[in-house]
Amino acid sequence: MTAEKKTVSIYVMGKQSEVPYGVTIMKAMEYAGYRFIRGCGCRGGFCGACGTVYRKPGNFRLKVGLACATMVEDGMHLTQIPFYPANKAVYNLEALEPTLGTLLKYYPEITRCLGCNQCTRICPQELPVMNYIATAQRGDIEATAHQSFDCIMCGLCASRCPAEIVQYNVGILARRLYGRHIAPRAKHLAERVDEIRAGKFDAELDRLMQMSKEELQKLYNARDIEQ
Amino acid sequence: MVVTCTVKVAGNTPCTNDAEERGRCVVTGAEMTREVKAISGQNPYLCMQCGLCSASCTGVGFMDLLPRKVMRLVQLGDKKLLENRAIWLCSTCLTCTARCPRGLDVSRVMEALRVINLRKGTEVLAPEGIPEELLTEIPQMALTSGFRKLSS
Amino acid sequence: MHVKAKDLDDSTRAALAALGLELTELPEWTCCGAVFPLAQDNYMGMVAAARILANAAKLGDGRLVTVCSFCYHVLKRVNFAFRNRTEARNKLNEYLEEHYNGEVTLLHPLELIRDDVGFDVLQDRVYRRLKGLKVACYYGCTLSRPAEEMGFGEPENPTIMEELVAALGAEPVGFSWKTKCCGSYQVLNNAALAADRAQAVLEAASRQGAHVIITSCPLCRYNLERLPVGAAGKGESEARLPVLYFTQLLGIALQLPATTLGLDSHYLDALKEARA
Repeated sequence: MTAEKKTVSIYVMGKQSEVPYGVTIMKAMEYAGYRFIRGCGCRGGFCGACGTVYRKPGNFRLKVGLACATMVEDGMHLTQIPFYPANKAVYNLEALEPTLGTLLKYYPEITRCLGCNQCTRICPQELPVMNYIATAQRGDIEATAHQSFDCIMCGLCASRCPAEIVQYNVGILARRLYGRHIAPRAKHLAERVDEIRAGKFDAELDRLMQMSKEELQKLYNARDIEQ
Repeated sequence: MVVTCTVKVAGNTPCTNDAEERGRCVVTGAEMTREVKAISGQNPYLCMQCGLCSASCTGVGFMDLLPRKVMRLVQLGDKKLLENRAIWLCSTCLTCTARCPRGLDVSRVMEALRVINLRKGTEVLAPEGIPEELLTEIPQMALTSGFRKLSS
Repeated sequence: MHVKAKDLDDSTRAALAALGLELTELPEWTCCGAVFPLAQDNYMGMVAAARILANAAKLGDGRLVTVCSFCYHVLKRVNFAFRNRTEARNKLNEYLEEHYNGEVTLLHPLELIRDDVGFDVLQDRVYRRLKGLKVACYYGCTLSRPAEEMGFGEPENPTIMEELVAALGAEPVGFSWKTKCCGSYQVLNNAALAADRAQAVLEAASRQGAHVIITSCPLCRYNLERLPVGAAGKGESEARLPVLYFTQLLGIALQLPATTLGLDSHYLDALKEARA
């Protein structure tokens, strides 16, 4: 029985290769003989290292995807942008106030936003990037944090911005400010930490530390499991 | 951001210089005047030098070249105008435009001179130069408008 | 506005609500860009405002109210461009992937009050607490020019704010600098220029006997209030006047609590003293 072989043509930085249909860009490039020493990370769509831009012939639209999570298409002309130079502020999170002033101090360029929306269009995570820069300009740190939550810091937005804003760094500052200074504290966590510090669990922990491997194994097998 | 150069070289062919060379396109005063006309959509030769714009100008007292003189230099094609500070002290209040007896939009001419510089990369307002207290206190539109008018 | 001009935001909402005018905030709004691009080939500068207008057209009754003078200016001019310049309309619609044709009517709260409530009705709604108060109406440079696009009255002598003041029982004071620029964004580039302009405005208003000056724009207010000491020229005395938003004056006349207007309660007493 012969499997139907199917290949597609892709153009990696101008060089054409025939690669199997049905694989990701990353796998296809490796098939073609490229070895990734950068621009590749978790291979699972989470780390943002493999941002790829591509176009198809006859269509002026610029498309993006993560190489590890995007399937190859016939006629893709692609290139990767593993790192785009970024303005990254250095700060001591503990000493910061969760205010508009803080965002403007470290990233005054957010007021240069033209509202062109190229950042939103290029985001592989489909985040409302322009919107969260707008909320940042309004000092709404919570909204900025929530809207930028799924950002994988791939840097594609910053590569497109005519106002030279590095959106993902603004987002992460907002998320840090939110987490450290705005988000409500988990009361039950604080209580549990106090209990631990007070020694409530010391006896139990000591008991466990002194058990033999067999006893531990028995305990483990008999543990409560939530179905 | 790449902007197509509107300067026409010999024989009315469009300039093919790339972004880096763009600024050097405006090498003669005549080219400056042509660029100003294209960007502003105004005919500077309509100006009759009455001085009403200068009399109205917000920047009076701080500009070394008031609007009337700016218009004259555009008419004469004096490209030293591009390096003059006066164009950056305009607050686009539109009083000159409202009063010009010849119906010239003087504000657009001032903007064109700034835009020629900005598209070359010359700017006068750098975000890094603004003190923190000012950033925090000043109403947002000052920053947004300031950057749009005075930064590239 | 939520942060840096909270008093304008609060006082506008409070005052308009007290007059029975219900406003709904646009969900997910972005910055309008603050200035209208004067370069003919600059469409990017119009994109932000165009997007706001296109979104607003899909909501509400087709009217958009904005109180900040900068926003009003940009949105009005971009709307005008949509209605009157085919090439701008086509380019912007194509870029935004919208089909906006300038349907939205843009209103300043002064226009909204005039049209939906009426200054004569307003007159009956307020108490004459402001009697004897001389108010200079400072429009700034963005509301009334260019006249054919803004439709806000005479380019150098609009009167709608004075009509409001008269309706509130106070005395509007005319002064020559009412539409002259306060310096605007030059406060960032050449602070001395802005201080000089602010001084000129305040002086002109003081000379006409004004007790207080009202404005619609947070930047005008900032420039007028933050006048640095020593800004007056030699031989001139430095003019200083309390600066209020017109919505705060309206709120005072409607007897709204000072806190809803972003005002210190002592402010009202100071205002009374100024009148005396």
